[in-house]
Amino acid sequence: MSFPELVLTYERDRWRATGLGLDVTHAELRGLEWLLTTLLAERGAPPRVHLRFDSSALPTWLRQYHAHYCNYVLEIAPAEGR
Amino acid sequence: MSVNRRWTSGMLATEDWWSVWIGLALYAASLASLAGADLVGWMPRPRTWEWTDLTQAFAWSKLFAPAGAAYVAWHPLASWLTAYVVLTALLAIGARCQRVDVGRFVAGFSVLYALTWVAWLAGNELHLTTVDATVDGRNRYREAALSWGLKLGEGAPYLLALGVGLIIGNFAKGLAARLAEAAKPEWFIKTAIVFLGVNLGAQMIQASGFAVQLLVTGAAATFVAYLLFWPIVYTLARRVFRLKRDVSAVLASGISVCGASAAIATGGAIRAKPVIPVAVSMVVVIFAMLELIVLPGAYTALFPDQPVVNGAALGMTVKTDGADAAAGALLDDLMRAAHVAATGEQWQPGWILSASILTKLWIDVFIGVWAFVLALVWVYKVEKRAGAVSISPMEIWFRFPKFVLGYFVACLSYLAIAAAWPAQAAALASGTGVVAGPVRTLLFMLTFVAMGTITDFSKLRGMGKLALLYALALVFVIAPIAYGVAYLFHRGLMPPLGN
Repeated sequence: MSFPELVLTYERDRWRATGLGLDVTHAELRGLEWLLTTLLAERGAPPRVHLRFDSSALPTWLRQYHAHYCNYVLEIAPAEGR
Repeated sequence: MSVNRRWTSGMLATEDWWSVWIGLALYAASLASLAGADLVGWMPRPRTWEWTDLTQAFAWSKLFAPAGAAYVAWHPLASWLTAYVVLTALLAIGARCQRVDVGRFVAGFSVLYALTWVAWLAGNELHLTTVDATVDGRNRYREAALSWGLKLGEGAPYLLALGVGLIIGNFAKGLAARLAEAAKPEWFIKTAIVFLGVNLGAQMIQASGFAVQLLVTGAAATFVAYLLFWPIVYTLARRVFRLKRDVSAVLASGISVCGASAAIATGGAIRAKPVIPVAVSMVVVIFAMLELIVLPGAYTALFPDQPVVNGAALGMTVKTDGADAAAGALLDDLMRAAHVAATGEQWQPGWILSASILTKLWIDVFIGVWAFVLALVWVYKVEKRAGAVSISPMEIWFRFPKFVLGYFVACLSYLAIAAAWPAQAAALASGTGVVAGPVRTLLFMLTFVAMGTITDFSKLRGMGKLALLYALALVFVIAPIAYGVAYLFHRGLMPPLGN
């Protein structure tokens, strides 16, 4: 099953998610996810979004050891009143 | 759309898959020998040479010559250049698909290729290699009337290659930075491991019991790495070193399982900040280099009568595929040289290396499953976020080391061809012998140089706690338990005799 996708990166000590018209950063992943769920729920986004980590954010020398960091699905609870 | 939702994703974009494509392409080309065509015999094979003899009457053919009989009339430099063009072209295509800067890659690879050959040829000088022993009625040390010799056997080129790489990585950092785009030891070694599948196939024909023993030890090694090493190191990190949960988990995987790849897989699975696996991987890479420098020589000196035990123990102890395979190759050559010097018996090459590789591959294969289990534990138990975050089991496949597929495809297809056409055994051996021989050795040599180039020991500064924990776990947990398990399964097992 495919879900709308956000691209996740980590730069300058902050997580960053881009896509679906959003560009959000936070020092903690959990904080970033909270921001995303809030913003997406307000926009009436689908109940699930796929977060794909862009492995090019890892240092070049490291990628030869393992080219995949993480993918996961974030559940979006509908905003109150929707 | 996510590229990671299809099982085929990454097939043209990762170095892991490209090791399979390049490895199998050259292997397939070598099979043309079954139809009487030699498509890989242009590969040069170094020869042992002696300094005085060469300087008195120089000839390139004394240093190296084409490996295939069909190319015997070629000038050695023509075969050297052909090998350079073919390998550079194949790797450059892979690099382009991986979105690497092809210009920088080709420039860097050309330097690495030249340095590798200098080390390879220099390392075949008789004073470095030849052992003072009579084998099959010949004593080459005496025949050459050598007044001295290091007697390192075929391990001498590897040691020189490592030395060249380490000098660049630690004393010529500007050059190391310029070579960084091409210094990919994991890519080189994974491609070489695909060729080693041919060796495993040949070994299974010769002694199927040996392969079965290695498989059983591999299963035990997997159990030990994931269910014994990991909990011990994790507990040490949490209770003694007071490290945070995510750092402890990433470090435990890096130290216990399969090095940098396990650290990254675990970091991703528990969604740790990427700086954690990056820091852990730096420590892993440097310690893997130290293990590569120390362990083959130490095992050769301490346990000269346990060749296969030593190989399997390396597979459990040395992290990163590059360092493990490199250490296995070095151990293979050092132990065979020591054995022939002590007894006059010549062990067949490759059996100790196979023990090292197969044990490690077993551990590698399950990293995807382990990462998936950790991901579930983190979501359900540690972060208690069931219902907010979900992980697909497809992540197991995305983390699976694909070069292992190439290794077994080469092994099983070799076995199938040998079984189907037994009359073609000589033709099969002559073609595949080139890719499993000099082509594979060249990739090992490139791995040694590239590993040295990317190893900067000064990066250990500021890694005090991580480095100390790694050292303690390695010396007091990983190495002794690994050796004990390997001894339990392989004690007394010897490689067959012959060249």
